[in-house]
Amino acid sequence: MVLSVLAVLLAAPGAGADTLEEVRARGFLRCGVIEGSPGFSTVDESGERVGFDIDHCKTISAAVFGRISIRYVPITPHTVFTLLASGGLDIFPGGATWTFTRDASLGLDFTGVYLYAGQGFVVRADSGVARVEDLDGATICIAQGTTLEQNLADWFDARGLEYVALTFADVDKGLQAYRSRRCDAFTNEQISTAGRIHNWPDRNDHLILDQVISKEPMAALVRQGDARWRDIALWSFNARVAAEELGVNQANVERMRATSQDAEVRRLLGVEGSFGAALGLSDDWAYQVIRLVGNYADLWQRHFAPLGLPRGLNATWKDGGLHSALPFR
Amino acid sequence: MANATTRPLGQRLILPALILAAVVGLLWLIVAATQANLERLGVDPGIDFLFRRAGFEIGQKLIPYSANSTVLAAFAVALVNTMVLGFAAIAGASLIGVLIGAARLSRNWLLARLGAVYVETFRNVPALLQVFFWYYVVLSSLPLARDSYQWFGLAYLNNRGLFVPAPEGAVSGLLLALLAGFIGAFALGRALKHRREATGRGWPAWPFVLAVGIGVPALVAWMLGDALRWEVPRLGRFGYHGGFVLMPEFLALAVGLSAYHAAYVAEIVRSGFNAVDRGQREAAQALGLSGAATFRLVLLPQAMRAIVPPLTTVYLNLFKGTSLAAAIAYPEVVSVMVGTVNNLVGQPVVIMGLTLLVYVTFSLAIAAGMNWYNRRLAVRGS
Repeated sequence: MVLSVLAVLLAAPGAGADTLEEVRARGFLRCGVIEGSPGFSTVDESGERVGFDIDHCKTISAAVFGRISIRYVPITPHTVFTLLASGGLDIFPGGATWTFTRDASLGLDFTGVYLYAGQGFVVRADSGVARVEDLDGATICIAQGTTLEQNLADWFDARGLEYVALTFADVDKGLQAYRSRRCDAFTNEQISTAGRIHNWPDRNDHLILDQVISKEPMAALVRQGDARWRDIALWSFNARVAAEELGVNQANVERMRATSQDAEVRRLLGVEGSFGAALGLSDDWAYQVIRLVGNYADLWQRHFAPLGLPRGLNATWKDGGLHSALPFR
Repeated sequence: MANATTRPLGQRLILPALILAAVVGLLWLIVAATQANLERLGVDPGIDFLFRRAGFEIGQKLIPYSANSTVLAAFAVALVNTMVLGFAAIAGASLIGVLIGAARLSRNWLLARLGAVYVETFRNVPALLQVFFWYYVVLSSLPLARDSYQWFGLAYLNNRGLFVPAPEGAVSGLLLALLAGFIGAFALGRALKHRREATGRGWPAWPFVLAVGIGVPALVAWMLGDALRWEVPRLGRFGYHGGFVLMPEFLALAVGLSAYHAAYVAEIVRSGFNAVDRGQREAAQALGLSGAATFRLVLLPQAMRAIVPPLTTVYLNLFKGTSLAAAIAYPEVVSVMVGTVNNLVGQPVVIMGLTLLVYVTFSLAIAAGMNWYNRRLAVRGS
């Protein structure tokens, strides 16, 4: 925290300059990651970083360099906004809910929703709690660093219900306290909770309530004031949804690039037109993203399907979800 | 050194002036850079956020607070929590420390060894680890609500905390009575002591002091009658509620911080008594003073002069150490301000500044109090 304050005090004089040029000159992307969040950001058996958030870092790297060249900067929710604003990171792709206050006052820009999440609850299966309303009078463990605390207070307040908050500095400590029965429920973003409790030996003794009490549209963050860098992040994420809608995935991208007659597929993959120059990228940047990272469905299959999570709101609009690609034309 | 003092004043001032200029220049640079950067980032540097609705709950509220209160009120709640923890831990550390220090000074071999083992164990493990340790000990050793330890159906102890009856209604009357009892007992004690010192006759003061200290509040509580009710904890769907709750987090922190800093207090106590010359004890015995009188009138006053200054440092460290509470969900200043509030409003510079101010203020207050006490102990006339 002290370091991050110092970082604001002595912010890099180059901040506000051209991030793309800086990243190119440096030769790697500095990507902020929250560590130890199954599904989003963990380390696999071979010591490689894997997860939904990690793939966002890779997406930007693929678009900029056509290869994976990233320095992962471990951050905490306490430090990340300050670090990003002061030029210590190029992008923070994980776990920030897009809210008005944050967008308007943090000195940062959001780059398009990549995950529709919500604040949910995990309770003990034998507690008899079936709905959030049943938690009237309960002790609820919660973690700082998000909009979760306010959501919880607002939701209970609006219904005239009461609870005792036990506020932890990090998610795992809060979850651990819930597990040792210090709290009756633990609340956090629903998907990440599912990821964290997936490997518990007593997983079946716990119940994740279907109900969510908030919308948590997640978006990646970049520094405010660099429109081109923001566009690069937004369109890199968008390319993955577009690819899914157009039926292009990591497995078939080479074939599609060589043979597809669909004009939008050809534009997306850089066969036709010049869709990179305006962003300062090569024309095949989106092809590199799909080749190296995959489309949205590939990411879901890789990270969330193994946790038993349905796509729900995160399906494309064609399948009844909310993701809808901005057109490439 | 004679050269240095004979050099002209101008020359002697050059170095201090340069250092001062460098410090002021650096501060100016930092302030200017911060302002410029915050402006460029569009971060509002004001303190308006303190008067907005807080919108979050706090687990331990010793003063009235709800999510609809202001951020300033949340700050006050956190401040009270920090103070309560700080003073509980200072009291605990002093008590344990004096006992352990006395044990180390003891001529009983076993007692002295045990004291030494305590000091070396607790002094050599980081405070944060000890806090975690106690937290898990507390959490895992306390029963669930339905198996609570209970006393007379009034107080309950389980893994949600210690639940005791809380006064309702005329609470301020009770608090005033407690304060009056305390002040009355203190004044009476002093008066009796003076009388005995002046006349050489009289009774031991403590039964009267105790009678006033307990009697006055008890009498007031009885007179208040129905205006003062006691809310007894009741078992609900999710454990006990109602009454006054001491959180397990508080218990763990109070024990952990007390145990850790007691090791330092013990060493200071030991060194303080070792600093008193052996001749003092022998002289007192030669005068025919009893063992207790030797301790109280000769050894203790002299040892205290060596004890109080380093003890101040321990108290200051302990008070700052309460910020470790942020690690285990006890809602003190760092947890609430640097954790929750900063995340809501995103103004790290102002919020860190406010939090720093809290610690500076309290540390200076503790130091001032201890210095005042130290001056009172000083040898008169020297």
